[in-house]
Amino acid sequence: MEEVDRILIHSLRQAGTDIDEDVQRVKQFSSELIVQAVVRCLRVIDPGVGSGLSPTLPPGMSARFRVGMSLAQACQDLGYKGEIGYQTFLYSNEPEIRSLLMFLVEKLPRESAEVSDQPAGKSALLQKAIAAQIKAQLALPWLPPFCRLPLHRKTQSPGPCHNFRAQPLSLPYSLKGPAKKQSKEVKEYWREYLLPVTSQPSQATSVPASLLENHVSELSAAQDWENEWNSQGLLSRLTPEDYRSRKRMRLQKRIEEQLRAAAQPRPDTHNATRSTSDLSELLNSFAGATAGGDVLTKGTRFTHSEKFTFTQEPEKAAQQMAAAASALPSSHQSEEDLKAQQEAELSAIQQQLQQLSVQMEEVGGDIRQLTVSIHQVSDELKQREVRNSEKESNIRVKKQTIDLLPDAENNLIKLQSLVEASSKRVVHLASQWEKHRTPLIDEHRRLKELCSNREMESSRKLSEIKDLHDKIRQSAEEAKKKESLYKQLITEYETLPKDVSRSAYTMRILEIVGNIKKQKEEITKILSDTKDLQKEINGLTGKLDRTFAVTDELVFKDAKKDESVRKSYKYLAALHENCTQLIQTIEDTGSIMREIRDLEEQIETENGKKTVSNLEKILEDYKAIRQENSALAAKIREG
Amino acid sequence: MELSDSVVKGLQTLADPAYLDLKSFTIFTEAAFSSLLSFPTGSVFDYPELKNMDQSLLKHCHIAATTFILEGVKQNADRSTICSSLEDLKFDSERVDAFYMLYQKNKTNLEKLLSSIDGCPPHITDVSWRLDYCIKNSHVHKVNQPSYLISFNTESGDNNGASSKLNFSCTLEQLQDLVGKMKDAAKSLERAAQL
Repeated sequence: MEEVDRILIHSLRQAGTDIDEDVQRVKQFSSELIVQAVVRCLRVIDPGVGSGLSPTLPPGMSARFRVGMSLAQACQDLGYKGEIGYQTFLYSNEPEIRSLLMFLVEKLPRESAEVSDQPAGKSALLQKAIAAQIKAQLALPWLPPFCRLPLHRKTQSPGPCHNFRAQPLSLPYSLKGPAKKQSKEVKEYWREYLLPVTSQPSQATSVPASLLENHVSELSAAQDWENEWNSQGLLSRLTPEDYRSRKRMRLQKRIEEQLRAAAQPRPDTHNATRSTSDLSELLNSFAGATAGGDVLTKGTRFTHSEKFTFTQEPEKAAQQMAAAASALPSSHQSEEDLKAQQEAELSAIQQQLQQLSVQMEEVGGDIRQLTVSIHQVSDELKQREVRNSEKESNIRVKKQTIDLLPDAENNLIKLQSLVEASSKRVVHLASQWEKHRTPLIDEHRRLKELCSNREMESSRKLSEIKDLHDKIRQSAEEAKKKESLYKQLITEYETLPKDVSRSAYTMRILEIVGNIKKQKEEITKILSDTKDLQKEINGLTGKLDRTFAVTDELVFKDAKKDESVRKSYKYLAALHENCTQLIQTIEDTGSIMREIRDLEEQIETENGKKTVSNLEKILEDYKAIRQENSALAAKIREG
Repeated sequence: MELSDSVVKGLQTLADPAYLDLKSFTIFTEAAFSSLLSFPTGSVFDYPELKNMDQSLLKHCHIAATTFILEGVKQNADRSTICSSLEDLKFDSERVDAFYMLYQKNKTNLEKLLSSIDGCPPHITDVSWRLDYCIKNSHVHKVNQPSYLISFNTESGDNNGASSKLNFSCTLEQLQDLVGKMKDAAKSLERAAQL
């Protein structure tokens, strides 16, 4: 019982009851202590119920009675099955209190069992850290600014604040490709003129913000790429670089198409040609800047027309310059005249320009027409040439036949033999071809099969790779999770109070278990002893019975003949009866002894219940209640 | 700690003893820390040891180092985190130790730098009040209502801890509301601390 009591008292202390150091047993609990312990436990188990109860016993007797009743009610509500009432608390006896306290301690919520095995998420960890920080800051007293130590300065005088303002940074590396591809000028700029990142932002305060922002954007871009690569890129069976360049080309083509669709040349407006030429230039530069987009370099109509206008431009300029030089005004003329003259000149020149541009357009149209006609003519030429060659071959055949005509017979035979020979040769060649063809076709089929097999295998491998990727990612995540859990548990373990009670508990439990084992062994030994004894007794009684029966029979046979033997028979019967009586008496004594022991035990337990002292207490309390009642009655009478 | 590819590349360059020896590494790391803490820093690499390096690579390393430092401080990384992530990048133990020493030395200042990225309302440091009781005014003969003139002394970080005053008047109900709100705030703070 001592062990149980110690464990009980330890748990009660943890629940918030202050139990004196010298209280070691439940026997030593006073009524006040019991009430306090029960109320504390109830508060921990169910705060709603427990908060309505006061942990101290009131002085008035009737109030005490009420407290006892409500406590008993609360315990019964919790599911306590034993006998309980106000007397349990006010007039305690040890076993009842012990069983009640054991019930309550078992009901105490066990946090340790519920502490999750899964790692607390990042947010939970963060919240914990925040809580710890707030707790630390709450523990520090506020100090006026002139008293602050550096310790306080961190939290109590925050210093100047500013917003998160990131600025774009110029980086000495390219995110898109390896550095070798960059042009020499860019490299020189990086080497010689680029400022270090920490001096790039205009304000000191945006340095960390810009750096962090830059890093986060790079990270998220990498993540996006990873996602895309895993979902689409891997299936395309290209290397990452190829995939990237192909994607870029696709995008470029789309942009080009869009732009071109938007910039269809409209012949009705004069400015249209100009804007399209600008656009084509843009498209050209766009294509030139990125390697691979060489669709436009073949030369479209825009580039042609552009070239055309560019070649025309210098001539025109030269002409205009000459005209201007010839019309240079003499300095004698007045300014107004000069102005008027200039305006006139300007309008004339503009007119000329317009005329010229109209001419230009006409000429351009002419040229277009002419090129079209040139095309037509060259096509015709080709057709004619083809026809010509056909005719020439015809003529040659006919010439030969005419040459052969004089010796027709001979030549006919020759020709026939020739035809036969050639037909034979054809057949021969065909058979040969067949001979060659079959293995080739077989080979082809085999290769095809191989190819498809390989393809299947590669797709299988691809899916395997994908699975592997997934697995890798999963395991990495798991490892990370486990690591964080480990870290968290370690910190938790460090913060836990270094209580030796656990090992002491286990030690004690092991001791108790050992004791119980020993006791069990002893019990079984005693049991087997008793069984042996019982067996012996049974054997002896059987032997006795049998001997008696045999003797009885023998003596009875003789008794018919002899008178003295009859007497001895009577003695025998009397002896047997007396012996049975004796055995009976011994058995009775044993049972009575057992009863006595039982009764003694009962007496002890009754003594343990402190009945006498409790009765005395009850009497006192009864007197107190009567006194209170009489006082109240007197008050009523006075009132 | 999650690091982007460019940062990883820059740090790997730093870890390479063929590129930077230990002494130059220490000088470079010191320069990176000081470049974060002081501004303007026109010549971060103004050391004879770093003069004959490839400057563009050095700048890349500088970005990587500063980003790593800021991320570490942002996540309040402890020794094990810093060391393990540096060792993953093939830093030898001497460099890790050198880096961690500097990190430890500058951590509080860097924390201050990062925590200054925020807007913070002024702190109330003191309060004084006056109770006025209005018996009547020019419109109403009998008013008989109390009013409170409250003056908060506040301290804000923006102008170097100088205190300023915040005055207002309120009725009894408004004052009760204010007090109730403050109590609520204090209570929720305590609740947050007990998590």
